[in-house]
Amino acid sequence: MRRLTLLFAGLLLLPASIGAAQGDPAEVKLEWKSGSTARLPLRCEPFAPVGDRDARTTSVQGDEVLAADLAGSAVFQVVKTWDPTSSGSTPQFVTGGKWTVRGTQLKLSGELRDFPGRRPILVKEYSGPVADWRGLVHRFADDIVLQLTGEPGVAGTRIAFVSRAGRDMELCVMDFDGHGLTQLTNDRSIARSPNWSPDGSLLIFTSYRGGTGPQLWVMNPANRKPFPISTRSGINTSGIYSPDGQRIACTLSQDGNSEIYVLDARGGSPQRLTNNRSVDTSPCWSPTGREITFTSGRSGNPQIYVMDSDGGNPRRLTYDVDYTDSPMWSPKGDRIAFVSRTGAGFDLYVCRSDGTGAQRVVSGGSNENPHWAPDGRHLVFSSNRDGALALYVTDLDGTPPRKLETGGRKALSPAWSPRH
Amino acid sequence: MRPMNMLRALVLVALVAVAAAGCAKKTVQTPPAPPAETPTQTPTPPVTPTPTPTPTAPTTGLPLDQATLGKLQVVYFALDSDAIDEGGQSSLDANARALKSTTGDFVIEGHCDERGTAEYNQSLGERRAKAVQQYFADQGIALSRITVVSYGKDRPAVEGSDEQAWSKNRRAEFSLRK
Repeated sequence: MRRLTLLFAGLLLLPASIGAAQGDPAEVKLEWKSGSTARLPLRCEPFAPVGDRDARTTSVQGDEVLAADLAGSAVFQVVKTWDPTSSGSTPQFVTGGKWTVRGTQLKLSGELRDFPGRRPILVKEYSGPVADWRGLVHRFADDIVLQLTGEPGVAGTRIAFVSRAGRDMELCVMDFDGHGLTQLTNDRSIARSPNWSPDGSLLIFTSYRGGTGPQLWVMNPANRKPFPISTRSGINTSGIYSPDGQRIACTLSQDGNSEIYVLDARGGSPQRLTNNRSVDTSPCWSPTGREITFTSGRSGNPQIYVMDSDGGNPRRLTYDVDYTDSPMWSPKGDRIAFVSRTGAGFDLYVCRSDGTGAQRVVSGGSNENPHWAPDGRHLVFSSNRDGALALYVTDLDGTPPRKLETGGRKALSPAWSPRH
Repeated sequence: MRPMNMLRALVLVALVAVAAAGCAKKTVQTPPAPPAETPTQTPTPPVTPTPTPTPTAPTTGLPLDQATLGKLQVVYFALDSDAIDEGGQSSLDANARALKSTTGDFVIEGHCDERGTAEYNQSLGERRAKAVQQYFADQGIALSRITVVSYGKDRPAVEGSDEQAWSKNRRAEFSLRK
């Protein structure tokens, strides 16, 4: 139990005080403690294959996917009993169960037990087509995380991103673990900066497909039909849905200079939020929808600011860092991730939503466009840290970022989907 | 064409253009529908006195083509800046002279190096292109001919992560409107 307490202190977000002295009293302020590597030691035992011949073929793959999901949750330190190279502390929990294949149907009987007592903590059945075995494993993994933390995991989420081949940048989507990569555009143009609608059904992105510069387009990844949202003269960039999905914050230069606007969800009724001679861009809503963080060059070089979502009360958040951009408000509202220039590249930082406590969380190479996982435990970002541009995930606990497979494509500009 | 000949040709074209300036402006801004008296006639250049007759005798300049655009000088910028420095000004002066002897629309592309972020660079690239647009407008080039497009850092001229590449990528260049 002591380990559990440590874990919660280290990894989870403790409500410290509601309506802290600084900032909007309506925002819940949360304490974040970083640098902890405390994870729950968990032992993964293989599923017992039952039924058809290919039950074993898929079950051994299922074993690996469950272990990867649980390790990727940043909640567990995973030991795989079938892998002699896998080792760790004495486990507190053990997973396993039965993997039954009948024709085209799979029944996954998942079990989470304490260890060594093996008393059941979670026993649950998941049924579906064998073809969707990954989906069933992801659901089991997310339920395990839910059972032990009170909040589901993110194994069922997806990541949208942009792949670059030569001059062309195309929008793509894949599962959070890199599986099932699908290219969504084939414009031979530039696509950039995707963001999901809050229900996960739509992607808004910047595209040059119209031939007259950057415009905002929206696509349902299921049918891949893009439709225009803002094609106003000048630039139309940095589109992002409000938490209720009713509005879109974005950058437009229709009035001569990059300013932040809020549009309705169809791209109409623009409301201008900023008004100065320098660049304002990269808006991101707070989870309450009451505030917007953004980047402005009004103080000389780009810095992070926060304003009310009607444009009022703008205040500067970052001071002691160089050129900063790409602010992303965490799903719980307690933190803001951003990038700051260091030498030839960018490092990732996370600060509290009032700008205090900025910590560098990723450095080495150039690291850009951080985007939060819906559980607030991870950031996905693009980096050239190993040479070619690729996507990485940091668990914000001091462990090295892990690379996401993108089928050999150069990848950038990621956006983590909400839970479906 | 040798430099001398080209210069002569340019001067000629410029003189023609100046001589026809009044008519030329009207020609450009007249709606496409021709007057009722000459419905089938293709528009012909108005007769104007010219110091030296030329075979093509353009009144508003040659149509802008890729060859002319390709000869325009790329303008370079300092890091994080949209200011046009002295070198940029002399490049733009030469470009403006060449463009004024032509007709047709063109695009000013604003570009940035990889040391800025993608989103901020999209805005900075536009500021660079607009700075060039303003410079041209001050030199008498019609704003209606110009479209501004920012590519941020997504269309580098040179791949690479050193000052040599970066300095080549912070630029404004010119292309034909599609």
